[in-house]
Amino acid sequence: MTHWIEKQRYIIDFTLSSLLRRKVKNFGLLALYTLIVFILASTMFFTYAIKKEAALILNGAPEIVVQKIVAGRHDLFPLAYVETIKNIRGVASVESRLWGYYYDSLVSANYTLLTPPGNDAAKPSAKTTVVENDSGGEAVKPLFELNGAKLEPGTLIIGNGIARLRAIGKDDYMPFRAFDGKVLNFRIAGVLSSQSELVSSDLMLITGEDFRKLFGIDNSHVTDLTVVVNNPSEVAMVASKIKKHLPDARPIIRDEILRTYDSIFNWRGGMMIVIFSAAVLAFVIFAWDKASGLSAGERREIGILKAVGWETSDVIQMKFWEGAMISLTAFFTGVILAYIHVFFTGSIVFEPALKGWSSLYPNFELTPFVNLEQLTTLFFLTVVPYTVATIVPIWRAATIDPDSAMRFTGE
Amino acid sequence: MIELMNVRKVFNAGNPSEFSALNSVNLHIAENQVTVLKGPSGSGKTTLLSIVGCMSRPSAGRVNLQGREITSLPERFLTDIRRKTFGFIFQQPNLIKGISVLENVMLPAYPLGEKRSQLKIKAMKGLSELNIANKAASKVEWLSGGEAQRASIVRALINDPHIIIADEPTAHLDSKLSYRFMEIIEKFKAEGKTVIITSHDPLVYESSMVDRVVNLRDGQIER
Amino acid sequence: MRNSSLFFLYLSGGILLLGLLLVHASFSEKAGRENLEEKAALVKTLQLTDLCLFTEARYTRHLSQADLNTAFQDHPLSLEHFPSGSFTQPPERIIARP
Repeated sequence: MTHWIEKQRYIIDFTLSSLLRRKVKNFGLLALYTLIVFILASTMFFTYAIKKEAALILNGAPEIVVQKIVAGRHDLFPLAYVETIKNIRGVASVESRLWGYYYDSLVSANYTLLTPPGNDAAKPSAKTTVVENDSGGEAVKPLFELNGAKLEPGTLIIGNGIARLRAIGKDDYMPFRAFDGKVLNFRIAGVLSSQSELVSSDLMLITGEDFRKLFGIDNSHVTDLTVVVNNPSEVAMVASKIKKHLPDARPIIRDEILRTYDSIFNWRGGMMIVIFSAAVLAFVIFAWDKASGLSAGERREIGILKAVGWETSDVIQMKFWEGAMISLTAFFTGVILAYIHVFFTGSIVFEPALKGWSSLYPNFELTPFVNLEQLTTLFFLTVVPYTVATIVPIWRAATIDPDSAMRFTGE
Repeated sequence: MIELMNVRKVFNAGNPSEFSALNSVNLHIAENQVTVLKGPSGSGKTTLLSIVGCMSRPSAGRVNLQGREITSLPERFLTDIRRKTFGFIFQQPNLIKGISVLENVMLPAYPLGEKRSQLKIKAMKGLSELNIANKAASKVEWLSGGEAQRASIVRALINDPHIIIADEPTAHLDSKLSYRFMEIIEKFKAEGKTVIITSHDPLVYESSMVDRVVNLRDGQIER
Repeated sequence: MRNSSLFFLYLSGGILLLGLLLVHASFSEKAGRENLEEKAALVKTLQLTDLCLFTEARYTRHLSQADLNTAFQDHPLSLEHFPSGSFTQPPERIIARP
C-alpha cells in the first residue's frame, strides 16, 4: 500500500514537472478552464439562489389575481365585477388593488406606484362593503404604517432604489405630472428598507386617493383584484369559475407566478444558451485537442518512459493525473471564485447583463443557497469529461514501442 | 546467461516494404563479460539489442534469459523483467527535458514506489560516482554532451540492473569522453555486471576490456 | 517541497476553503432568514406578485402579470429588445397557448 501511494506520488511529481515545462500552454489551458467553471458555477449559484429566494418570498403572493382584458390588453377593473366574484362558492374574500407605472423622464426610470391594501378609499374592504364615497377615505389616523412611516394623503413611501437613484430621503418632496398636466408634489414619508430591495426597489406606496388623482381613475374602477380562497386546493377550480362567470376576466393563480420565476434563467433562455454553448464549445475544443493525439514530443517522451521501464499502465496513470490535476485545480479555483463572485461581490460580472437598460436596478444580496448536490453536478459536468478526454487518447500511446527510444537519432 | 535461438525479426510484414532486419540469429552472451555487437549501420545491431533487452519481440525464434523463456511473456512481465534486469544507455542521452537531472535519473524507479529519501540517496550516489552530483538540480538542457551521457548512465543504473545495454554510446562523444566512457564500462565489469554494446567505433571494439566481438552484417552473424 | 506535496496541499486548501464557504452559506442562510421573512411579509402585506429584477420595461417589471399583447409573448427564444428578455421566458400559460 505504501508502495502504491509512493508510486502515485512519484507519478504526480513527474506529471506536475512535465506540466510546468509547457508553462504558457498549460497555464493558458488552466485559465480558460477555470473561467468556464467560474461562469458555469456562477450561473448555477446565482440561478439557484434567486429561484429559491423567489419561491420563498413569493409564497405570500396573492392566491388569485384577476385582471380584466379588453381587446387583448389590460384594462381597468370595474368594481361592479367584485360582487360576482364574491358570490362564487369557495371565495373567502376579495380585495382590490391599485397599481401602475409612472415614468420619470428625469432619470428615465419606471416606478411602480402601488396603493397598499386597505388604503384605497373606494375599495370593497369586507364582504358586505359597497363602493363608498371619497370622504370615507379622509380618515384621521393613517391608513397605512410602515416602520413608523405614516402614509397619509399627500405623502409617499418609496423604495430604496428610488431613494438612491434620485438621492432623496424622508421629508423631501417629489413632483409628479398628473394625467391632466397638473403638477402634484408629494412629501416622502419614509423609505422602505434596503434589505427588501429585491421586491421593493422601485415601489412607491401612495394612498388610493392620490393614486386616482394622479392617473385620473374614477372610483368605480381599480387595477385588478386579489382573491383569497377558502380551501387552497380549490384555487384552480375557483379560477376557472371566475373565468366562466366573467369571460373578459383573466385570473392568474399563485402557482403560475411561482412557475414564472422557476423558469427564469432557464437554460433555454437566450443569454443562458449563449453561456452554455460557449462552455460546451470550449470543452469540445479541449477534448479535440486532447483526443487528436499526442505531439511528437509527447510520443518521444512516452517512448523514453517505456524504454526506462514504465509500463503502459503507468503511462495511463500519468495521463490520468494530468487530467485530474488540471481539472481539479480549475474546479476548485473556479467554484471558489464563483462563490465569492455571486455572494460577496453581488455578481459583478453578470450585473451589466442583468441590469440591461434599467436605470433603477435593485441592490440586493442573495442568500447563499448552496448545497452539495450543486457542487456534485458541477463536478460531473466539468472534472469528469476533461479527465476522461485526457486518458482516452493514451491508448494510442500504448502502441508506442519501448524500443522507439532507441531509434531517435536526431533531436 | 542470454541465449538467442533462430531469432528473426521482420518489419512491415506483409507489405511490399517488408524487410527482415535479423535472420536466424543464434547467440550466447556470457555473464560478467563485455560483448560488443559490431557492424555497419543497417546490419541489425540495434534490432538485436532491443530484442535482447526485452524491448521488442522477435518475429520468430526464442530468447532465454537466465534460463527462462521470455519471448512469450505478456507485456507486464516483460516490462518488469526489463526494469529489474536491464539498464539502457542510448545513442542519444534521451533525457526528458524541462525537469532536473536528479528527477531524470530517478525516473526508472518511479513505478517501483521506493521511498523517496532512499531513492534520492541512491541517485545522488550514482551522480557523484560519475562526478556530476553538482548538476543534480540543474535542468537537462544545461548539460554538456558528456554530462548528459553520464546522467543517462546513472539513470540506467538506478534500479541496479545485472545487464547494461548500450546502443552506440560513443557516437556523439569525442575521443576523450569516449575513453571516459570505456573506463566507466570497465568499472561495471569489475562490479560483476554483464555489458552489451553495439558500436562500429574501433575505440570501443578494440578496447582491451572487451571480451567478445560479434560481427553482424545484413541481419546475420558473421563467422 | 515535492510537487506532489504542493498539489495535495493545494487540493486540501481548496477542499478546506470550499468547506468554509459551505459553512458560510449555511450560516448566512440562517442569518438571512429574517431578511427573507421581511421580504415575504412585505409581499404579503402589499400583495405583490413579482420580484423587482428587471425594471427596464414595464412588462419586464411584473413578469407574471404580462398580458398577451406585450413582448415576450412570441415564444421561447424571442430575443427581444431588452437583455432581460433573454433571461426569462413568457409565463407558462402563454407558452402553452392552444
